[in-house]
Amino acid sequence: MINENNYETFFMSYIDNELNATERAAVEAFVLTEPKYAEELAIFEKAKLHAPNIEMEDKIFLYRFPEMQASLDDDFKKSLYRKEAHVRKALFTPNLMRASFAIAALFILLVGVQLFKTNTVIKEKTSFVSANNSSTNSKQTENTILPSKELDASLKNSNAAIVSSQPVNKKINLINISVIEPSTNSVIDIEKHSASNLINSNIINAEESQSALLVKLHETQIRSSAMETASNEETKNTNVMPTTYKEIDTEEEDRTINIGMLEIDGAAFRGITRRVSALLKRNKIEKEK
Amino acid sequence: MTDLEFNICVDDYSDGVYRFILKISKNKEDAKDIVQTAFEKLWVNREKVETLKAKSYLFTVAYHLMIDQLRKENKIVMTDSFDENTQTVSQGSSELKQLLLQAINNLNPTQKSLILLKDYEGYSYQEIGEIMQLSESQVKVYLHRARLILKNKLTHLEKMSA
Repeated sequence: MINENNYETFFMSYIDNELNATERAAVEAFVLTEPKYAEELAIFEKAKLHAPNIEMEDKIFLYRFPEMQASLDDDFKKSLYRKEAHVRKALFTPNLMRASFAIAALFILLVGVQLFKTNTVIKEKTSFVSANNSSTNSKQTENTILPSKELDASLKNSNAAIVSSQPVNKKINLINISVIEPSTNSVIDIEKHSASNLINSNIINAEESQSALLVKLHETQIRSSAMETASNEETKNTNVMPTTYKEIDTEEEDRTINIGMLEIDGAAFRGITRRVSALLKRNKIEKEK
Repeated sequence: MTDLEFNICVDDYSDGVYRFILKISKNKEDAKDIVQTAFEKLWVNREKVETLKAKSYLFTVAYHLMIDQLRKENKIVMTDSFDENTQTVSQGSSELKQLLLQAINNLNPTQKSLILLKDYEGYSYQEIGEIMQLSESQVKVYLHRARLILKNKLTHLEKMSA
């Protein structure tokens, strides 16, 4: 019910047109009880605003017309685009580039330090190694020369025997030429000695009868050719240069890695590789995160 | 909503929205921009917005755009009290309408919006609550508080003039 305490709320709801018919009737009845309430209600109604006649300017821009929805053809739009060359994406990301540069710098630094440290040692070692190499080479040449000397001596003997028989000399020379093929092994020398002996015996017989000798020489030619083929096969198998092996202590802690003239500390190299692998792993984990 | 319905909305509601915004922001260009943006949004969402709710949609969008702009310009001063002495003495005995408008201008934007939406547009408490995102009871309380301020102002002026 309307009373002195709540009449203002009812009056405001009345002018706001938020009361139903019965409430409105109750308010109108309350106003009639005392004139001061009528004055109060009149003031509330005076305080109510009345809409002024204001029109918006440029209202025309708010309207929408079908022509405004017209759009350009897609092909024509594409023809207006600026054509740019395809930009290839960089293979390396900036972080990867930085990491690779850092690794390269570290590697160069370490190699430089190692070079600086081992420069004098390498010089000494190289002089020592060159001296050793020269001595071994001389020995090897001696070894390799030896069979050739023996061969020459044996061939000289055979030539000396052949000198007596002039007509057969040419054919024997042919045999000699075929025999003096490069051979270094002693086994082959023995076989050649036997071959030369056979030739010698044949030469002696040749003095007796040239015709018989020719036949025998023919045989010797066949034999020598057979021997030659056998010797060639063996030389293929045995024509290997003598090699020298150096014992390496694998349990040695101060192992070094030789890259050309460079001598890198093995432990330091392992450390670098470990760090690089750790860095790469860390980057991979970060990317995965 | 068809093109034709949209253009009818422009005819019917653009003046009301513009007036409402202009009364609060007091800047014609700002009011025009806000109305333009509100109708742009209505056009974009014309498939979703029903024609019958277009008016409240426009007022809602325009009101929130205006509040955002006022916040950017730091023009919002949330004062529920009304300093009667400073306002009345300066104006003297002018016409009732002008005094009333001046009194409304001294209200905070929320109270002003409530008064304008109720008196100019005739919205119910519920509709005003939907536009301003307030409950119906909040609308009633805030609006009655604003009306009391205006009534006291008018009473004071009448006494001064008498």
